[in-house]
Order: sequence, then C-alpha cells, then structure tokens
Amino acid sequence: MLKTQEFTLNMGPQHPATHGVFRLLLHLDGETVVKAEPIMGYLHRGIEKLAESRTYTQVIPYTDRLDYLAAMLNNLGYVQTVEKLMGIEVPERAEYVRVIVSEMSRLASHCLATGAYALDLGAFTGFMFPFREREKLMDMFEMICGSRMTFNYMRIGGVADDLPEEFYPAIKKFLKEFPACVDEYDGLITGNEIFQARTKGVSVLSSKKAIQYGMSGPVLRASGINYDLRKKRPYGVYDKFDFEVPVGENGDCFDRYNCRVLEMRQSHRIIEQALERLQELPEEEPLNAKVPKVIKPPKGEVYHEIEGAKGVLGYNVISDGTVNPYRVHVRRPSFINLSLIDEMCRGWKVADVVAIIGSLDIVLGEVDC
Amino acid sequence: MENLFTNLAGSLRAALESTGLPAILTDTSMTMVKLTAILVFILLNALWLVYMERKVAGYIQFRPGPNRVGPKGLLQTTADIGKLMSKEVVIPKQADKVLFLLAPALVFAPPLMVFAVVPFGENMAAIDMNIGLFYFLAVASLSTVIFWMAGWSSNNKYSLLGGMRVVAQMVSYELPLVLSILGVVMITGTLNISEIVRSQQGIWFIFAQPLAFLIFFIAGVAECNRAPFDLAEGESELVAGPFTEYSGMGFAMFFLAEYASALVISFMCAILFLGGWLAPFGMTFIPGWIWMFLKVYLVMFLIMWIRWTYPRIRVDQLMGFGWKVLVPLSLANIFVTGLVMKIFKMLGW
Amino acid sequence: MFGEGLIKGLTITWKSLIGKKITVLYPDEIYSLPDRFHGKFRFDKDACISCGMCVRACPNKVITLETEKVAKKKRILKYEMDIKYCLFCGLCVESCPKDALGYEKDFEMCQYKWEKLPMVFVDEEPLPAEEKERLEEEAKKAAEAKKAAQEAAKAKAAEDASQGKEG
Repeated sequence: MLKTQEFTLNMGPQHPATHGVFRLLLHLDGETVVKAEPIMGYLHRGIEKLAESRTYTQVIPYTDRLDYLAAMLNNLGYVQTVEKLMGIEVPERAEYVRVIVSEMSRLASHCLATGAYALDLGAFTGFMFPFREREKLMDMFEMICGSRMTFNYMRIGGVADDLPEEFYPAIKKFLKEFPACVDEYDGLITGNEIFQARTKGVSVLSSKKAIQYGMSGPVLRASGINYDLRKKRPYGVYDKFDFEVPVGENGDCFDRYNCRVLEMRQSHRIIEQALERLQELPEEEPLNAKVPKVIKPPKGEVYHEIEGAKGVLGYNVISDGTVNPYRVHVRRPSFINLSLIDEMCRGWKVADVVAIIGSLDIVLGEVDC
Repeated sequence: MENLFTNLAGSLRAALESTGLPAILTDTSMTMVKLTAILVFILLNALWLVYMERKVAGYIQFRPGPNRVGPKGLLQTTADIGKLMSKEVVIPKQADKVLFLLAPALVFAPPLMVFAVVPFGENMAAIDMNIGLFYFLAVASLSTVIFWMAGWSSNNKYSLLGGMRVVAQMVSYELPLVLSILGVVMITGTLNISEIVRSQQGIWFIFAQPLAFLIFFIAGVAECNRAPFDLAEGESELVAGPFTEYSGMGFAMFFLAEYASALVISFMCAILFLGGWLAPFGMTFIPGWIWMFLKVYLVMFLIMWIRWTYPRIRVDQLMGFGWKVLVPLSLANIFVTGLVMKIFKMLGW
Repeated sequence: MFGEGLIKGLTITWKSLIGKKITVLYPDEIYSLPDRFHGKFRFDKDACISCGMCVRACPNKVITLETEKVAKKKRILKYEMDIKYCLFCGLCVESCPKDALGYEKDFEMCQYKWEKLPMVFVDEEPLPAEEKERLEEEAKKAAEAKKAAQEAAKAKAAEDASQGKEG
C-alpha cells in the first residue's frame, strides 16, 4: 500500500507573498494544504499599550502605524472617537477635507492591494500599474501633510492644516486620469483568463460564515452582504454623497479582488463630489473646532467604528479624566479577517494559499498592532 | 555576406589541411572550433538577453530599465555576473554536496548540446545530423534531471516542491511538444533540421500548421519554465523553487541557463515554423543568418512580452491544460494533417 | 471569452512598452519636494523662547531642552533631537509658538556612526559664575537705568502736562 506523508512548510515570516512578517505554518500533503496555522506577532509593537502613556493628541501618529497603507483612515477613526467622547462638533469644511483625504487613502490602499494581488499571482507588471497611481496619491499626500505614508494629518476637532494651493490642480488631474487607469487594471488583471482561472471559485467564503467570524470590508461584501458603514451608519458627512456599495456574489478570491477594484471607482466618485462641495464652501470657514489646548475628555468610555480600507475599523477609548487615555483598543479589520485563514486554505494548493492571503488584503502593521 | 561564416569555416579548414594534419584531426579541431564559437555565441546571447529582458520589463512598467553601468546600461549583466562570481557559494549543511554542486555545472549542457545541430543559417549547422529534430527532443528534455538534482539536493522544502513541479511539468509538456512537431515532420518527411527549413520555400509552416505552432510555442515556453508557466521558480509561492538555496555563481548559472533554453526554443520556433534563414518577400539582399537572428529575436521578444503581462498558472491547471487541451489538440492536428495530405495525394497534387 | 483577455493584456503592455517612462532618475533629476515636506529639522536659536512646548508635544521624548536662567531670561544650553526615535509626525513644529522649529527640504540624515545620529542644534556650556553675576549686575543696572529713565519720562510728562495747564 502506498502511503504518503504530510510535511510542514514554513511560509514566512520572511516570504515574498505573506505581505510582511506573517508566518503561516502549512501542513502539506504534496502540494495540497491539510492545515494552515497562522502565527503572528512578528511586528507587534504594543501600540495599544503605548497609547496609554501618551496624550490624546500624541496617539494620532501611532495610529498611522497600524494600517500604514491607509493611515488617513486610522487617523480619522481615532480622531472621531475622541471627538465623540468629548462631544466636539467638527466644522463642515474640515469634514469635507477629511473625506477627501480618507478616500484618497482608501484608493491608495486598494491600489496596493490590487497590485500586490497581481504580483502574488505572478504578474509583475500588474503590480506596477496600480503603483503608478498610488505614487501620484502619495505625492499629493506629501503636499498636504509632508509625509507619504505616516501622515498624522487629522487633529481632534479638525485637521492639521488646510489643503495647499498646489493640491487642487494635482487632484483634478488625477481624478480625470484615474477611471482610464482602472480600465487598464481591468484589462490587464481582471479580464485576464489566467487570472480568472486562478481566482474564480477559489476559497469560497459563504455569507453565513463571513458574518459568524466578524469579517468586514471587501471580504464581507464579496460574500454578498451589503454592509458598508459609510451607508449603513454614516459618520462624518458621508450621508451627503452619492455612491454605490459594490457587492460580490460568490465570495471567492475573484470577488474579493473585484470588490476592491469596483470600490476604487466609487471612491473616485466620492472624492469628486467632496471636492466640489468643498470649493463651494466659503474659504473663511474654520478648519478646526474650538478645542481646549490640553485635551482632557470627561470620564467615560466610547466605541466608534468607521469603514476602513480593510474593513470595519473600530476604536474603543476609555478616559479617566486625565490627559492620557486610560485604554485604547483598536478593532483591527485585518486581524479579524485573518481569523478564518485555516479553514479557507484547507484543501487548496500552495499557490492558492498565496492567492487567498492576497485576497484578504492583510497589513501586518494592523494584524500585529 | 550570405556565406560569411561558411567561407570562414572553409578557409580555416583549408588552412588546417594545408598544414598536413591527418583528416581525423582536422575534423575534430573543426568541430571543436565550431562548438567553441557556439558556446561563445550562447553566452553572449544569454548576457544580452538578460539585459534585454530587463529593458523590456522596464519599458513595459514605465521604467527606463538598467541605465547606469556602461552606455545605456549595457554592461549591467556583466557587472551582475562579476558580483555574483565574487560571492560565496553557500552550501547548506544538510545538502547533498556532490549533486548540489553538480547541478549548476551541468545545467548549461543540454541547451549547449542542442545547439550543435541547430543551423544558424544555410549550411551553418555545426553538425548536420539527419535525425536532428529527434536529437533536439531527446537532449532538451535532459534538463529535467538537472533541475530535479538541484531541487532534491538542496534539502529545502521549497526546492523540493519546485523540483517536483519541474519534473511533472516538463514530462507532461514534452508530449504536446513532440506531437506538434509531428505535423511538420509528416509534411516534410524528414527529421533533418536543415531539410525542414528548405522545405519551407513555398510556405512557412506557421501558415500551413498554425495550430501546431501555437501548441509548440506554448509547450516550448512551458519547457523552458518561463512565465506564465514558471511554476518551478514560482517566486511568490516557492521563493525561487529549485534555486532557493543557491548563491553566487551557482545561481547565475541557473539564471543564464534559463535564457539559453529560451534561446533554444526561439531557434526551434524560427526553424520549424518561421522559415529559418529563408527571407520573406524575396528580400534576399539581407543574408540568411541575419534573417534567422531576427526571427529568433522576434520569438524571444514575444516570450518576454508574455512573461511581463500574464500571471502564473496554477500547478493542477497547468497539468490539466497540458493533458486535456494541448495533447488532444496536437493529436487532432496530426489527424487533420494526415487527412489533408491523403486528400491532396488522392487529388494528385 | 477564451483568449480575449489575454490579447487585451498584451495590447495594454504594448502601449506601456512604447509609452512614456515615468521614473524620476533620482541623482540626476531631483524630485521637487513640496513646501510642507517633513524633512530635516531647522531650529532658529534666536527665535526660540525655551517654552518647552515642543518637548511636551513630542510623543517619543525625542527633544532634549536644557536651559539656564540668567537675569530672568532663559538661555538655551542644549537643544538636541534624538532623530533615531523621531516619528516625523510634526507635532513639535506645530506646537512651536514662535516658528523657531521648522523643516528643511533635506531628507538625507544618515550617519555612519551611531553617536552622530542625534541632531545637536545648540550645545553650550553654562556660563561661569562671574560672568553670570556680571550679566545679572548689568541687567540689574540696565533695569534700574530703564526704570529711572521711565520715571524721568513720567516726571517729564507730568511736568509737561502741568506746564501745559499753566500755559
């Protein structure tokens, strides 16, 4: 009787396809995955703990380092949480600026997810195309706040600075070019038969399971559940925009990928509308709410969540009335989306594991926190 | 111009004969000279192809490609090879040392041996073998063993997986490769490569056998482990497949051999389907070997272009594609070719 | 369906193959940095009032500020940024009330030696005691002189006013 033996394969912590220092211990039968054990914590920096010894404002640069691919959204989530705790009303102009930069951040993150997914499946050029647009976005971020990835742009009660003069022509040019670029991704990556063969029907995540495990973001929506906080529980001024929430049908890798591409188009629409409204507002309107110099929120606890690039990004801030938060907890979507990795990988080939991790779009800064 | 190299060889032979050497020695030294020339040719081409690949990749990805070392970055590969030579060859502790070191040394042999029968132009084959095509098929598949040696001896799970993939892939793509050529062989009735080229005077086989060309091209790309069939290397899943543990010159040898085998496939495409050294549209003022070269580089560019466009196929899909699509198609091609030939014969053409 | 997407992909890459290249060839072409670029820090010693806002704003305790008080004025002895811990978040620059802190458009802060990493903007010895005393004395005198002058001016003004009344 011929017997085969299982063997283990360490995928990571240093591996080209794990999107950072993530280790996946694969039990393989030939090329087929029998079991996948995720092992994380290689990038753990204890940001939640660090936040306890910082003032409320000083936490903002640390939130940049959670999901460093969409740092504006992290900023936004934290800042809105503290505002909720203190009951601060943010001026309308600041809200629009926030929407613009956070949707740009979502675009940047999805650009990277799309590109890196193509790279995971072996199409190097598919990696470079979205990166070209991401580069333009980062240049604009640099104009706005001086940094390309770790922005620290939002402040409690508003934003750090007004949008600079040179930003407006740049974003207008970008918005004009962007739809054609997404068409290019569609032609180069989405429409490619090999790509579809690699992703369609791979690792189907049922909507029931997705809800049970608390999946969120494009991963949840790909399973056919129309749940986007921007629509369901609008925060900021998101209720004033006209956009759609792309929903997948099958919940396979292709849908998860495609959801992101479709979301890019919607983000593009939101930015266009927000920019229009922002320019209609009078210049004199303030950018910051009246906030005391030393931020001392009243005693209490608050939980607030926004729709991050990877999913529902929630912040839980507990205040004991001092200048430092008593506890900051972050609901990191990447971490929670990763919880089903074992089940999703079982029975698929090694090459599919790469496709599955890529379709979940994890960022290790956020997984390990 | 047309007979530049044949004349050179002829005068060299005459010079050797005039020194009064016995005939067998003359023949041997002539063969040696030819083979050395081929070796130099392949190595130079491999160097150039690495550069070209990087340039093409760069241009496709909005980058200028290598542009610092030498004029237009032409010396980039040379510099890289120099760097790799100066690196330590790390041998893993648990590796099978002999096989581990033997694999990169041998990896160049199969493509090199194939080139012995490849005609670079009219009468420009080092050895004009009458079973040249058969020899090509036999020798080209030898590299399977070498990749497997590298994969097995590294004692690394990634290498092992890569090695297994190479064997599975090469064995299953050998079949459509052979079957697709059969159509050509049936028409020409010969296995001599030069004869096959000559019989394309009337019509190139890419027009007579388009399906066979497609199958041959796909199977050929798979044979030399190029994207989208670069499963063996499978960078995003298997790190570097059988080459994971290699460093320094060992790695460089694999790297260059990849281009050498891609060159073999390009040559074969040009010879079997694109009319070899025959000039299209009667443009005979350009020598045949330049035509040959142009056609080879056209195919080479096509391979590169495809590599930098497509994602990688999965291993089971690769097998399925090979056995369920390419093999039946090539069999059908043989059948149709035979049928048409029979009909033509009946019609008395 | 079959092959269509493959061909389309090839046409897209062909377009990019012959299209414009977008790489900035870095050392030859310098990428122009925006005005708000968070680069190397600029410190204006004369503008600084040693209020310590930047020290308090910093989340990572990067800035060391040491002062001594000479004649009721704060004198900066040491202003150092331990750049290896810096997040470049910009909170210090934002908190500065006198714009003494700022950025330069320079991001090349690499150092060969570990010890050279901290950016030292001011590093001065505390003044010797005599010098301090002398300065204090001077300041006192100056203050007295000023006070006297002020009083004189006041007196004069009063005088002028009274004269004006008389006149």
